[in-house]
Amino acid sequence: MGSSWDVGNWPSFDPHNFSQLRPNDPSAPSKKTPITYHPTHERTLPPPDQVISSEAKNILLRQFYQRGDEKLRPKRAAPENLSPEQECKHPRASFASSSEPPK
Amino acid sequence: MFRRHNITARIFERQIHTPAPGTSIHRARRFYENIVPASTIYEVECPDNSFRKFTEDGKYLISFSRNHQDLIVYRPTWLSFSCKQEDCDNQPLPPKAKKFESFFTQLYSVPLASANELICKDFFLYAETNQFGLFATSTAQIYDAPATGGAIQGVPSIEKITFHLLRLEDGVVLDERVFRNDYINLAHSMGVFLFDDLLAIVSLRYQRIHILQIRDSGSLVDLRAIGEFCREDDELFLNSSAQALSSVDKRAPHHTPVNNAVNGSPLEQPAQENPFLSGIKQRLLSFIVRGIQNEEKDETMRIQSLKKKFYFHFQDYVDLIIWKVQFLDRHHLLIKFGSVDGAVSRNADNHPAFFAVYNMESTEIIAFYQPFNILQMSSDELYLLFEQYCDHFHVPSKSSPYMNFISSHSNNIHALEQLRSSKNKATSFPLFIKKVLVSLPFNCQSQSPSPYFDQSLFRFDEKLISAADRHRQSTDHPIKFILRRPPHTLKFKIKPGPEAGITDCRTKRISSFLFHPILPLALSVQQTLFLQPAVVNIHFRR
Repeated sequence: MGSSWDVGNWPSFDPHNFSQLRPNDPSAPSKKTPITYHPTHERTLPPPDQVISSEAKNILLRQFYQRGDEKLRPKRAAPENLSPEQECKHPRASFASSSEPPK
Repeated sequence: MFRRHNITARIFERQIHTPAPGTSIHRARRFYENIVPASTIYEVECPDNSFRKFTEDGKYLISFSRNHQDLIVYRPTWLSFSCKQEDCDNQPLPPKAKKFESFFTQLYSVPLASANELICKDFFLYAETNQFGLFATSTAQIYDAPATGGAIQGVPSIEKITFHLLRLEDGVVLDERVFRNDYINLAHSMGVFLFDDLLAIVSLRYQRIHILQIRDSGSLVDLRAIGEFCREDDELFLNSSAQALSSVDKRAPHHTPVNNAVNGSPLEQPAQENPFLSGIKQRLLSFIVRGIQNEEKDETMRIQSLKKKFYFHFQDYVDLIIWKVQFLDRHHLLIKFGSVDGAVSRNADNHPAFFAVYNMESTEIIAFYQPFNILQMSSDELYLLFEQYCDHFHVPSKSSPYMNFISSHSNNIHALEQLRSSKNKATSFPLFIKKVLVSLPFNCQSQSPSPYFDQSLFRFDEKLISAADRHRQSTDHPIKFILRRPPHTLKFKIKPGPEAGITDCRTKRISSFLFHPILPLALSVQQTLFLQPAVVNIHFRR
């Protein structure tokens, strides 16, 4: 819609191509405003005090802290479940669990 | 997608195609498949120095004089000559190509070691942002040194170790740091770790980790010394309270298990033999106890568990000493503990290794791993983390972005395949874990960033040559570098030693390889174990 698409002046195979294109008159700006979309509900709004920042600790340290916290948190449930494997995302969890000592 | 191999086609493609997001450097590195150091100049006439390595930005070649007293720094340049014939590419090289000076210009030679000292030729760390180099000189080692002044019995002593910080541009010594009657593992920079501007030096003898900072002005500033004391003001606090306590009462010294307080420094009695453990040892043992306590709900089971897992091994835990340290980020250290014998022996495989993650700011131990042990927190967890997040153990720092591109099993599928296949072939999983974890904590700057070692570009025999800069057994056969991608052709060969090969098979020969990180230039140095002059070959792209 803007003047950058003034293809009428560009070279082309057939001189009649783009001959019917009317360039925009820059003195009279186009009255079309772009369509805007508004949400109909408020379920996806972020909480008003939300601050997004990046995590200072790298992923390896996060793993160490998580496992350390698991070990030191007093357990109320069954004590045999030591590893936090189910909680954190392990992309190769199946690979990890298959690492049994070969007989 | 089939990619053309022809270099001209690749250059045209580069003009019109944007690389996939995040792969611009990978695409640029693919040009190294076309530009290879295929020509070799055998037995270059070079000065009799021991060449150490190229700096990671490729600006300097570090070498030491044969008597280990001087540092000589060269600037890599390139051979230039003129040729009047028609077919210049196929003409033999001029005689000046056989001279070392055609490829390298000497910048300066600085004497670092005084009379009875020697430069440790295996030690060199480079701070890339300011082009500072860290070198070490030491006097002779004294075995069977008496354990005085808080030293550990069994660790040898070196009368004087000096670390020199040099500006490599002009060879000016900016600062020095001296350690007296101490022992720091200088071979392959094992006892020192550099991360950005932070330096961690492990004093094996006094069991301290010295954290220093390299300032932009070139001075080495002490930040803290972890070991006996964790926080900077611990010593002050303990000394002031010791004076107050000594007059109050005298309790009989006994081995109390540990102080379970998380944040308080334990009050120590100023007794001649300290019954209380202080500093990092206290943190470590209390972490272990709390972990074991938390496993059991029931009080009696808890005591049983503590007895079996902790008190039974109490003396072993107390006897652990710090072996090696690396940074995980600016506040966290990965510390390897073990026995005194393991620290000084050359082959640490037989000695069990314990790993701990320590936060320097909060002075807390975050994690602890023991050798494979079904009862407790064991090294296989650490191995799983290492398998998944290997690159984070390599500590990428902003000042050395090339570190992200050194092939490891976390960033390269071929290295991962290799790891998986060796894991499947391993007869015993605990032994496999032990073998893999021997490399942790990593030696700083021990891998060459040269793209010729990139596993996704080239395939080569890892036993004969690899990115790690260690000496290897020399063979007569040239080492082949074969393309990973189709058409899987042999691109170049590196042959150390004289062109005709070695006729005398009895003497053992070792080779080392120095690859320039950017240019298609490599040096191969072959030496015998006797002090004969080394045979240096230059491999370059003609």
